[in-house]
Amino acid sequence: MSDMNAATAPNVQPAEPMAPENAPLPPSKKPPGPWKLVWQKFSHNPYAMTGLVVLLIFVLVAIFAKQVAPFDPAKVDMMNSNLKPGSGKHLLGTDELGRDIFSRLVYSSRISLMVGFSVAIIAVFLGSLIGAISGYFGGWVDTIFMRLIDVMISLPGLFINILVMAIFGTKMIYLILILALTSWTGVARLVRGQFLQLREMQYVEAARATGVSSWGIIFRHLLRNASFPIIVNATLMVGGAILSESGLSYLGLGIQMPQTSWGIMLSNSQEFMLINPMLAVYPGLCILIVVLAVNFIGDGIRDALDPRQKKSRRRLAKWRKNFSKSGI
Amino acid sequence: MTEYLIRRLLQSILVLFLVSVAAFGLMHAAPGGPTQMMISPGLSPETAAIQKHNLGLDKPVPTQYVIWLKNMLKGDMGYTFKNNVPVGDVIWPAVKNTLVLMSFSWVLSLIIAIPWGIYNSTREYGLSDQTANFVTYIGFAMPTFWFGIILQEFFSLKMDWLPLSDMYSMDKQGNVGDLFMHLILPSTVLVLVNLAGYVKYSRSSMLEVLEQDYIRTARAKGVPERKVIFRHALRNALIPIITVLGMDLASLVAGATLTENVFNWPGMGRLFVDMARSREYSVLMAITMITAVAVVLGNLIADILYKLVDPRVQIGRKGGKA
Repeated sequence: MSDMNAATAPNVQPAEPMAPENAPLPPSKKPPGPWKLVWQKFSHNPYAMTGLVVLLIFVLVAIFAKQVAPFDPAKVDMMNSNLKPGSGKHLLGTDELGRDIFSRLVYSSRISLMVGFSVAIIAVFLGSLIGAISGYFGGWVDTIFMRLIDVMISLPGLFINILVMAIFGTKMIYLILILALTSWTGVARLVRGQFLQLREMQYVEAARATGVSSWGIIFRHLLRNASFPIIVNATLMVGGAILSESGLSYLGLGIQMPQTSWGIMLSNSQEFMLINPMLAVYPGLCILIVVLAVNFIGDGIRDALDPRQKKSRRRLAKWRKNFSKSGI
Repeated sequence: MTEYLIRRLLQSILVLFLVSVAAFGLMHAAPGGPTQMMISPGLSPETAAIQKHNLGLDKPVPTQYVIWLKNMLKGDMGYTFKNNVPVGDVIWPAVKNTLVLMSFSWVLSLIIAIPWGIYNSTREYGLSDQTANFVTYIGFAMPTFWFGIILQEFFSLKMDWLPLSDMYSMDKQGNVGDLFMHLILPSTVLVLVNLAGYVKYSRSSMLEVLEQDYIRTARAKGVPERKVIFRHALRNALIPIITVLGMDLASLVAGATLTENVFNWPGMGRLFVDMARSREYSVLMAITMITAVAVVLGNLIADILYKLVDPRVQIGRKGGKA
């Protein structure tokens, strides 16, 4: 892997000063760690960096919502309902109850991002734990967990979400928990697969021989080695969770009224689309942009981890071109 | 093959059984549960107890489950709480309507996606490939129901070209032309969603095959490129595509919950949300089981097709998708 990078890196970025990984390192200097290598490739990916910047902006807006939003998002002002964008101090106008649309968008980003990130964190934690136990110990533990996953995925995630939210009631904490509970299976399978490979490695044997406990091996050695694919999965899961939240809120089974999220704004907008069609456009655009940013970041990390695939394809495409040009 | 089939079937039945237990338990674990829904709050405790006894709700939950399972296996899905209609009368029309919408958009997306993906695999990073990439990114990042709302706003309200929602116009029940007009917008949404996955999938499946040695051999011995693509590569590239299609078979029955709700399409997705809101437990159980059967059956069909189409896959191979 590392000599592969050394061979191909100069061809990719000829203008760049020699990257530290292909210069002969002085023996005293520590070689760059895997995180640094990934960051180097990640930061040269324009899509991924754009995604990162956009996501950071949204996160900052969500954190400083009080300072950013010019109005109270819940303040009803029937005298000023359905104002056009730019009228008065209302940047994007007001909705059917006279609430400032821009302020509502700003406050909605709080809920949407919070749901997205907490779902991803819980699901990744749960999925990694179950996948790790399943993959490391194998045997009947593995069988039980895999059957559990079979049961979970024999119903679509959205289906289970709707069922639970409708039966148990729409509380934010239920929403986060059920979204997490229906999205850990992918991570669990991934981690299990990684562990099945990794547990045969010699360093695991060495660790075991020196008396490291099973849990020590799982957490210190194996999970760290499987961490990159998990991170990619977690990133993509943030986007998925934001989309699911908006869908459930749209159906009236997610976030409830005094709180506001992009999904709720969309479900309101459908009733009033004759009066103000733009009401539906803004929140949807916000969701699209955030999820797109998150997905770009996830893809960026994935590409940074495994640059081989794309390059070989490019090379192949070039080869094919030359092949057909030479007229054989 | 027979042994494999039997094992897979048993496995599927086990999964379905577990799903039914989990769903039944979930509904009875809910605060209030069916008891609260079925017994009107105004009844005196004595009458409530009698009604509870008549409905079988005073028995322990496992016994209730066994009774439910027995009835279900006999094809009796129970009655709705509201109006006391047989559950089948509510569900089967919805299944039919969903099948109309889903099969139409599914076939349409396949007709577009597979040739497009194959074309893109032969011209990597060309304009068409980049467009497909763009569509994929947008399709995966966009709330589908939002796209539906935007289409409604533009094509129905602003332009008044297409009907806003529902399956038929009020005065044209059963008119095929009218149905087609109503199909356009929801299937546009569904096709875009499907395209996002299928184009990319068929492209990468094709690319993988094009890298194989036997393709190089075919080219080297002078087989025309067209024949290489359609004869040698496509046949092998279709194998993984078929399996993915099998897994998506379930959605033909389960429906597209959000799209059906946006367009007020009287299918399974909308029925499910309505029933979940009003907590019609017997209908919910029935829909859950139908959906689970569809998913499990779809996976089974995908696995079997995979083995039938690709002789390289050993029949007795352990595991499958576990």
